[in-house]
Amino acid sequence: MFKKMGRKVSEKVEFGLFTLPVLICIAIAFYIPFAMTIRYSLTKWNGISKHPKFIGLDNFKQIFLHDTNFTQSAWFTIKYAVLYIVLINVFAILLALVLDMKLKSTPWLRAAFFIPYILSLVIVGFIWKFIFMQGFESLGASTGWGIFKLSWLGEPGLAFISVLFVSIWQSIGFYLVIYIAGLQSVPDDLKEAATVDGAGPVRRFFSVILPLLAPSITISVFMALTNSIKVFDVILSLTGGGPGGTTYSIAYDIYRDTFQNNLYGYGTAKALILFVAVLIITVIQLTIFKRREVEA
Amino acid sequence: MNRQSKAGRITLEVVMVLLSLLFLYPLFLAIINSFKSFGEVMRDVIALPTKLSFGNYEHVWNVINYPKLFLNNFVITGLGLVGIILVSSIAAYKLARTKSKWSGLIYMLCIMPMLIPFQSIMLTVLKLSQKLYITESTWGLGLLYWGFGAPLAVFIYHGFVKGIPKEIDESATIDGASGFRLFFSVIFPLLKSVTTTIVIIDVMWIWNDFLLPLLMVNGSPDTKTLTLAAYTFVGQYTSDWQYAMTAMVMAVLPSIVVFIFLQKYIVKGVVAGAVKG
Repeated sequence: MFKKMGRKVSEKVEFGLFTLPVLICIAIAFYIPFAMTIRYSLTKWNGISKHPKFIGLDNFKQIFLHDTNFTQSAWFTIKYAVLYIVLINVFAILLALVLDMKLKSTPWLRAAFFIPYILSLVIVGFIWKFIFMQGFESLGASTGWGIFKLSWLGEPGLAFISVLFVSIWQSIGFYLVIYIAGLQSVPDDLKEAATVDGAGPVRRFFSVILPLLAPSITISVFMALTNSIKVFDVILSLTGGGPGGTTYSIAYDIYRDTFQNNLYGYGTAKALILFVAVLIITVIQLTIFKRREVEA
Repeated sequence: MNRQSKAGRITLEVVMVLLSLLFLYPLFLAIINSFKSFGEVMRDVIALPTKLSFGNYEHVWNVINYPKLFLNNFVITGLGLVGIILVSSIAAYKLARTKSKWSGLIYMLCIMPMLIPFQSIMLTVLKLSQKLYITESTWGLGLLYWGFGAPLAVFIYHGFVKGIPKEIDESATIDGASGFRLFFSVIFPLLKSVTTTIVIIDVMWIWNDFLLPLLMVNGSPDTKTLTLAAYTFVGQYTSDWQYAMTAMVMAVLPSIVVFIFLQKYIVKGVVAGAVKG
């Protein structure tokens, strides 16, 4: 009996030894900072004075009622996220369909479209800033096309398109390879059977291929959503939030308040709102996709 | 009809190759302009450089300490990666093998942080790190990645371990192996394929990460990463595009070289990571 108890204790010790390290690491990276975020969000603090001043929910009131920067950046982020999710998935599926046709150049094409994805977003932003500011001038001079003469980073509407375009350019390769993998798991005889049955390419796509791509679409939409809500790096280097503060995203707005305006308490309150928003969206998304999968 | 479809295929092939070249044209422009003088860049961005001169590279090399930056990236990524894999695989194994309330709870605690956006905690991560004296140090940053990378890694490992038959553990136990020895000599080798996936997605993430290094190690040129140095560099040379593009090319060159050699594994790993994550 003692032996049995001894074994139980040693099993518990082993369980602790195996799981404690990861718990400590995760606590330091997430849970402790998260608890601190909640605490700071209820205070007024510029980071210089020793003690944050407790002000209850005043930060949240201020954000929701009077902060136009916040509403503006929230709108920007929502518009950006919706367009990003739709466009990148449509383009990636179209490209994947072509690359799935077993062209001779498919390996090259896949690699070419994937390359920007391995590059740092900040650097991608700078390279495109150079293209928009200097490259387009030369391209405009040599082609005479009006499209190159527009101020792509200088006008609010165009700057929005530029941010969206560069983000899609950088990450489309990722979605492309997911869809190619998805298409490859569609059995060839299924595609052929549909052809024999007389289905045209459009019909075949919508009634055979698209339903079978559902798992890939789930993954891609999920990834596109999580990435686009947090968009930051590319804006920082491409437009710096400009022109006139029209391209600030929520994440960038939090960064601005916390580190540039030194509003520590206020910035963390916004950070907490972002967390709640992401949580709600994720839960909604998971329930929708769960239900769908059950039906299928 | 056959001939027609063949012609169609060739047309499609040509169109796609042209499209891919157009797609990569910005990178091509960045590279050719890194070889030009200031005057050449201002005159015409799309023209090829008149001569192949490495003057810009010499200049940037002298301003930033490239070998040191590269080493910093290497230390941060390497240390982060080893830690993530060790602490996550061992915990995920134990959690997947133990059926108890505690085990389920701890597993949830491990993976829930995937829902916390980094921007929600960036300030407090910095404050906590300052209290722990791990800021302004590449080692400190590498250690911090253990926690940031663990949730996804635990999730992926956990799913994989469930597919390994328990009999393997049992027969190893009879042979006298237990605890850490059992894990490292019997189980860990079986996790090879999934470890490769985690290595690939984590290397791409840590190597290119920006915001966390910006907060943690941007204070001194001795601790900066390649991306941070490129970022600072552009800030200082705002209109000297030829130097800026040189710095960009130098910063992304390691990634591109690695991609050219390991392309197949990288694409496979990224797909596997997305499907499992």
